[in-house]
Order: sequence, then structure tokens, then C-alpha cells
Amino acid sequence: MKKFLAIILVVLMVLPLALCGCKDEKKDQSDVQKIIEQAQSMTLEELAKKAIEESNGKKFFGVGNSSRGKSALPVFIEYLQTIDSSYTLEFDWQQPKNNKIFDQLTAESRKTTGTYAMTLIQDGNQIESKMVQTGILDTFIPKEWAEANEIDAAKYDGYLALQTLNKVFMFNCVGTKTFKNCWEYVAKDAHGQFMDIDSEIVGKNFLYMLTQDKYAKYLKDAFDKLSDADKAYFQPTIDEVADTAKDFELGENGKYALAWIKLWVANYNAVEDDGPICQNLVDVSAKDQFGLLVYSKLRSIEESETKSKNNVKVAAYEDGYEGIGGYGYCHYLFVTDNSPLPWTACAFIAYMTCTQEGFEAWGKDMGGYSSNPDVAKKNEELHNHAQGGYEDGENKYPVKNDRGYDWWVGDGKLVLEDPEYCAKVAFTVGSWIETLDKYSPTAEE
Amino acid sequence: MSSQKNNRRVIMWNKIKTFFSKPQNTILVVMGLICTFTTFAPIIAIIEDTLAIHPGTIDANLTGKVSGYTIVNYTDLFTSSVAKINLWNPLLNTLLLAVGACAVSILYGGLFAFLVTRTNLRFKKYLSSIFIFPYIMPQWTLATVWKNLFDSIAVTGNRDGVLAGLLGVNMPKWWCSGMFPSILVLGLHYAPFAYILIGGIFRNMDANLEEAATILNTPKWKIMTRVTLPLIRPAILSTILLVFGSSMGSYPVPHFLGLTTLSTRYIEINDRRAGQASILAVIMMLLGIAIMYFNQRSLKSRKSYTTVTGKSGQTSVINIGRIGKTLVAVILIIITFFTSIFPIISFAFETFLPNPGDYSFLKTFDSSNLTTKWWMTNENVTENGMYGQKGMLFNEMIWQGFAGTMLVSVACALTAGILGTLIGYAVSKRRRSKLAGYVNSVAFLPYLMPSIAVSIAFFKLFSGSINLFNTYWLLIIVGTVKYIPFASRSSLNSMLQLSGEIEEAAIIQDIPWRKRMTRIIVPIQKSSIVSGFLLPFMTCLRELSLFMLLCGQGLILSTQLDYFDEMGLYAFSSGINLILIVTILICNALVNKITGASLDKGIGG
Repeated sequence: MKKFLAIILVVLMVLPLALCGCKDEKKDQSDVQKIIEQAQSMTLEELAKKAIEESNGKKFFGVGNSSRGKSALPVFIEYLQTIDSSYTLEFDWQQPKNNKIFDQLTAESRKTTGTYAMTLIQDGNQIESKMVQTGILDTFIPKEWAEANEIDAAKYDGYLALQTLNKVFMFNCVGTKTFKNCWEYVAKDAHGQFMDIDSEIVGKNFLYMLTQDKYAKYLKDAFDKLSDADKAYFQPTIDEVADTAKDFELGENGKYALAWIKLWVANYNAVEDDGPICQNLVDVSAKDQFGLLVYSKLRSIEESETKSKNNVKVAAYEDGYEGIGGYGYCHYLFVTDNSPLPWTACAFIAYMTCTQEGFEAWGKDMGGYSSNPDVAKKNEELHNHAQGGYEDGENKYPVKNDRGYDWWVGDGKLVLEDPEYCAKVAFTVGSWIETLDKYSPTAEE
Repeated sequence: MSSQKNNRRVIMWNKIKTFFSKPQNTILVVMGLICTFTTFAPIIAIIEDTLAIHPGTIDANLTGKVSGYTIVNYTDLFTSSVAKINLWNPLLNTLLLAVGACAVSILYGGLFAFLVTRTNLRFKKYLSSIFIFPYIMPQWTLATVWKNLFDSIAVTGNRDGVLAGLLGVNMPKWWCSGMFPSILVLGLHYAPFAYILIGGIFRNMDANLEEAATILNTPKWKIMTRVTLPLIRPAILSTILLVFGSSMGSYPVPHFLGLTTLSTRYIEINDRRAGQASILAVIMMLLGIAIMYFNQRSLKSRKSYTTVTGKSGQTSVINIGRIGKTLVAVILIIITFFTSIFPIISFAFETFLPNPGDYSFLKTFDSSNLTTKWWMTNENVTENGMYGQKGMLFNEMIWQGFAGTMLVSVACALTAGILGTLIGYAVSKRRRSKLAGYVNSVAFLPYLMPSIAVSIAFFKLFSGSINLFNTYWLLIIVGTVKYIPFASRSSLNSMLQLSGEIEEAAIIQDIPWRKRMTRIIVPIQKSSIVSGFLLPFMTCLRELSLFMLLCGQGLILSTQLDYFDEMGLYAFSSGINLILIVTILICNALVNKITGASLDKGIGG
């Protein structure tokens, strides 16, 4: 009996290893990649016809870091119905939290035919190492998008971005405190609200990007504008990390970036999502509080006795403001390599990136800028986000007047995500960040 | 020679036939195989993952490879400069949390059990029903209520909760988040375990022992420490084991209350230290196995108390005085109001607030500061905080999730209930055999393993060639494995109470096994067996830690609830909480009406 049990156990122990065996490396183009190759030379209308042929009466599953894919899909279906009125498509759009999207896509990739047709995903660093290099996701470049950006789709080796999204420093203005320099966010007892860098990894990418020469210089320049007393407060931290900056082979201002990062990690108050951060900041009780959050979250605020959009200001819009104004990162679009509806996925991606209607789910709010210059222009003409806070000709909510992408990357000193740079420093600067003590309200003296 | 060989074969064959002719043996062998696979295969899969190289993570960076195997995850986790952050601190917090939750649940649940069963307290029936509410509700609901009550700009720095906003009271930091509230919330959540287990013994305890001590003029404190407490020791041990295992693997409570434990750290480091995260899961499993070991030892020691937990010759009720019996009841009603009723009111109220946590109405009593948009919106809008969601009454995702939750819960309850009942029956029939001991242990092991560790293990196992990720099948398999112990313990305890003569009489009458089970055994122990079905059903309805890694957010309600909570859409998460609580209460009442079984009779088996 014992022997019998032992044999059974051994068999049972070996079995899962067999079940978990890795699949062979792909040598040839996958079926989806072949479809993408064809799709890249087709117009949106041609793709739409292919999509109708493929998915009529079926169910489309999408997964993304943005909840608005759910709003974009019905508009896309309406567009397909203008070509074929009998067309129907059920859909399901999921938005996993806590970086789970990568686990979910990895698990799905092991199926012969996956569940998700496409994805809208952020964090270029992980996308490159976990999704693209492993062949889980494929890039599709729509013909019209390539033309608008004056590139050759076949030779383009970047990702397809739907939009650049900005997280901006905002502060509650019920009290008298204002923020005039980005070093004030890391001053003593300053606890900005921010999504935890272990929960939303693009937040960590923001910190990585600060060490790039261009942004480290922004920090250095802002530091130079501080009073002597403030400089004296920050200088010991800058000196302390100077050697580390050299070890990491950062540029001459790298130590300013590392010092800012160290103080930010030690100070920021982690909140689970940008939505709650926005809700917290607009509250009348949140005097002097500030945060770094997605600009468009302001749309979710309903005016009431205690909450108002007029209780907050965008720091970078203030006269005389010095230093970084926020962080810009991209939402990328990919077709899954085992997509059950690849033509429909390509058509949907083309629709979102090449038409204003397709981008409308994101475009109607400030803080999201289409990667297609034609769409971005049409969108601004339609929505006039520059005067987004106006109601009946009155500037009712000045905080909503978006100064636009060009202003943000220029005067607004927006720190832009560069996937390649993030991947490069992920295990130098990234590992160093892991060793830093994080702020915890309960642990403070 | 060959005839001797033939004879041996015939003898062997006859032995096998005889062995399998007894249903309990067949059940034990089949269930032994199933439970061995479902318990050990995921464990092996996760151990394999600790050695594997994951593209884009630290092991790939340190080895310079993108596939293959390495031990670098172990060396880095245990010895690197971040070992304290990634391993030792979370481990210490996990142990402290589990110990603290045990202490709170035993003190609170035990005291409550004593008052309800051994004193002339008033409103016992009401208190007994209301006390189990925190267990019915998802465990993080008390955590969110805690935050809504005690957060303040001045202390936690994010927003003013009810106390700070309305009364200007700022609670201290240690009170608002971290270890203390996590212990308290988990302790309150699991106190019903202690109440049911300790209360069960109090109910059946022979009061003669205490009375004898009183006659001998023994001081009251001595009677308590020398007579009463030793009698309830097995129940205390059982509570410790159940609560320790469950608290250790809790993800949502420490997550919401800002405490870093092994389970929260697993989620945090999984993106860049996938292999090391799996080691954390293995450590949680090892702790579960250690608990299993102590459980078995406690079971052995419990044998000596069986005469006490049997039918009591006499029970007595302690008179706590005319004022005392009302005063204590009122205090308990107030406490249970805050742990059981207030969260429900709070959830209902939250679904009518214009913005999450916007208590303008309480300050102005102006109805324009309330809204029905979270329920009634019938279109896809992104403004005013709806984020493209329809109101709950019209939200297809929520109602599909509800259907999914019911499907998973019913399927888990039926399969776990049936398999657990069979295991309980077979183990009771052959309780002295090693095979029965093995099956009993291996079937119980998943219960003692932290939910999140079980979830991780099954995720690793079923996201390979056999890919069940994001399917109801996977949830049902995992739920069944995890909840079989509810049914097997419940069934085993009830079967042990049954005299063997009853079934023997039927065997003499040549009544087949199926008929013996359905016509005699099950009807006699109907109440306990139904509890074994009811508990998996109730637990499954609001399970998160076990399912969160195995599916997308849309499949079931608890993952949707977590999603809405994370997004800060508290109106939706509160509404889903309400839906779950009402469903559980209706089901509990229905089953109670039909079969006489109920949740508060079955917790802990």
C-alpha cells in the first residue's frame, strides 16, 4: 500500500511540471501577425468590412488600464452598423488593477485562442520586457495613423500610442498655501497624495525618468531658485546620494534627481487610485493638501456643499512656478498574439487612433492627447479644452482650462515616459528605489 | 508452482474485491487520489515557479537569461539589501496580525459565547443572530467602514472621515491604520468562529463540575482558570488554528488598512520579483502546514475531552442580576450595532451620496446633497464620477457578476458538500486506519493554507498547457478544494455521533449503500450535513483572496467589489456589499426554514 501511494505521489508531483511546460519559441509569423501585416496596408473602411465579416453576432473581449475602452466600443459598433445595419457585437471590457493586467495577458497567452482580442495598456518598461519580447502582444500601425505621423508603418519599430495622458501636481486652495517650486513637494512634512509606486508601476517610471538628463536639469534649475534656507534643508540629501548617482552613471544633475526621488518616496502618502485622490483634494477639509494625479479625474467631481473643482488648482498654471509640472505617459494599443478577433481588433484600434469619434471617449476630457495630430486637432476644435472650465461664457472652473500638450511638454515641464530609458534603469535606479524607506502615516513620530 | 502463483493472485484479487466492496474504502481511495492531486500539484507548481526565470524581472536581470531555472530568487530574497522590506518585516507583521486576530476573536467571541450560553442575559436570540454578521460580510467591509469613520486630514492625510468631518475628532495614528485596526477588524470578523466553537462547549458543558468546585468553596477566579477554561481549551485551540490560518493569508484587510504582510507584499513585488513573490506564497503555505501539525496534535488532545462535549447531565445558568442582564445586553447590542448593523446602514447611505465620502447631507440635511444616480442611471456616461458605468439597477456587468457568483457558490457548495460528506462518512467508518487519517488530513490542509497562497498555486498550475484562467471552472475547482473541509468536518463530527448499529441493522436487511445513505444516515444528520453545504455557499459568495488572481474583475461580484473599491467608486462597492449581504441573509433564512440548519450552527464544523 505504501509503495502504491508513493508511486501515485511521484506521478502527481511530476504531472504539474509537465503541465507547466513552456511552449516552443515562435519561429515564424503567427496567424495574427500575418493578419496585421495585411491590415497595415488597408484603410479604416476596408478594415471595418473585414471586422464585420469576422465578428458579426459574436462577443468582443478587451482589457485595458483605462476604463474608457468600455465607452469607445459602443461607438465603434455604431460605426460598423453604418456600413452594415444588421451588424451586432456584444462586448466586455475589463480594467484589472494592481498590475494584474500583465499576469492576465501572460496567462491568456498560453491558450491557443485567447479571450481578449486586444489591449490598451500602459507601462512601456514592462510592455517591452514581458509582452513584446515574449511575443504575447503584437503592434498594429493603422495606415491613416502612419500617414498623419509621416512614418512608414512597415519600418516603424515603436509602439502605437492611443494618447499621452498627464498626471499633474494639484493642490487644495481653500487655505492660503500655494506651491511655487517642485521641491516644495518633498519638503519636511509635505505628504503629497500619489498612487503607490508598487501598485501602479507607471508611477515608478516617473521616478526613473527624473534621472534622465533633461528632467534632472529641470530639478537642478528649480533647486537653484530656492531660498538659501530651503537649499540648506535639501543639500545634505543631495550630497548623500551623489556617489550613488555616479555609480549609476547618471548625468551631472543625477544627484538632484535621486535626492528628489528619495525625499518623495519618504514623504508621499499612498492612495489606492487617482479617483480617490481627486475626491480627497477637492474637499473643503483638505486645506493645504496636494497630490500628483491624472488631470482628467476632475471630471468625476459633482459639485456639492463640501466638494468643488474650485477647491483645487494646477500648480504649473500658477505664475512663477518653477520645476516639473507633472508626468506624461502613454496608453498603448496592441493586438494579442492569440486574438480571437484580430480583424475586429485592428479595426477598433484604427477607429480609436484615426477618427475623432473613436477617440471621443478620451478626447472629451482634458489631460489626454491623441497621438494622431489630425485627431488631436479635430478634438480640440470640437471640445475647446483650453476653455474647458467655461460655462455659459463664464470661466466657472479655471482648473479645467487645459493648456494643451504643447504647453505641457514645454512651459509645463511635463516629464515624459520613455520606455527604453525606463527599461535601462529599472534594475539600477529601480532597485535603489526599492531600498528606500516609504512613508507610512502610522510609522511617523 | 504455477497453481500456487494463481492461488496467490486469486487471494490478492479477492482481497482487493473485499476491500473495495466496502463503500468507505472506495471513497477513501478515490478521495485520497483526488485530494492528493488537488493539494500537492499546485504546491509543486508554485515551487517550480520559485526556481523559474521570468522575463523582465529581477531573476532575468541577475542571471542574464530569459528562461530556465535558477536559485537566485532564494538568495536574493533572503540575503539582499531589500530582504528586510520584502521578507522579514512582512513576515513579522503577518505573524503578529495572525496572533492578534486570534486573541481578539477568542476574547470577544469567547466572552460573548459565555454570556449567551451560561448567563441569564436578555435578547439572546437577537444577539446570537446579529453576532455572526461580520463573518457573513466580506472581511474588508469593516476595514472600509473603519477608514470612513476614523480617517482625517490631520492624521492620515488623505481626507476627513465621519468623525473628523462632523465632530472634528482626530483619532491617533496607530488607531487609524496599520497593525491595530487590522487586528481588530480581522478579530471581529472571525469572532463568530470562537462564538460557535466555544459556545458549543459551553452549551453542553456539565455544570456539575463547576458546582462541585463551588461547594468546595473554591474562589470564582480559580473555578474559571482551573475548571471552566480547561474545559473549553479544545475549542480555543480550534479557534486559534482556524483564525490563525485565515488571518495569515488575508489580503484585503491589511491592504485597506495600510499594513504590509506577506500577502500584500506578494502583490506589490510580483511585477518585478515574480519568483520571489512565489517564495512568499510558499512560506505562507509552510506556515499553513505547521498549523496543520498543531491541529493534529490538538485533535489528539481533544480526545480526552469527548466525555465533556457529549450530552450533559445538567446545565446551569449564571444569574448576572436584574440590572446586569439588561445592562450587559444593551452594551452588546450597541457593540454589535457598530460591527453588524452600522456597516449595512453605511453601505446603503453611501449609495446615495453625490461623491464618494461626501457627507454634505449630514451637515445640511438638504436633500439636494443626495442622489439616486448610482442606482438609476440608465446610460453609459463618464461624467459625475460614473466612469462609464450604468447605475446598479441597470448595470449588466454587476448582474452578470451576481449570476456568476451564484453559479460558483452553488457549484462549490454542491461539490464540496457532497465530497466532504462522503469523506466525513468514510473517515468515521475507518477512523483508526492510516488511509482515513491521511485523507482526513490532506482534505483539511487547503483550509489551513492562506487563501491567497492557494490562489497563487492554482494560478500557476492552471495557466500553463491546461489553461483555465478566467473561467468559472477554475473558480469552482479552487473553491471546492478550499471548502471541502467545511463539509468534511461537519459531516465527520455528525457521523461520529451516529452509532454503527443503525447502519449495521440496515446492512443485515441487505439494504444497498446508496439507500442506507439517502434514507437513513443523511436524514438523521440532515442539519449538520446541510450546514456543510451552507458554509461553502456563504463563504464563496463573498470570497476575494481566493479568487482575485484567478479571474478578471467582471466574472464574479467580489472581484467587482474590489475593483470598485480600488477605483474609489464606493457607491458601487457599497451597493454590491448590500446585494451580497441580503442574498446571504435570504439564503440562510430559507435554508433554516426548510432544513433547520443555519450558519451559526455550523461554523467551524
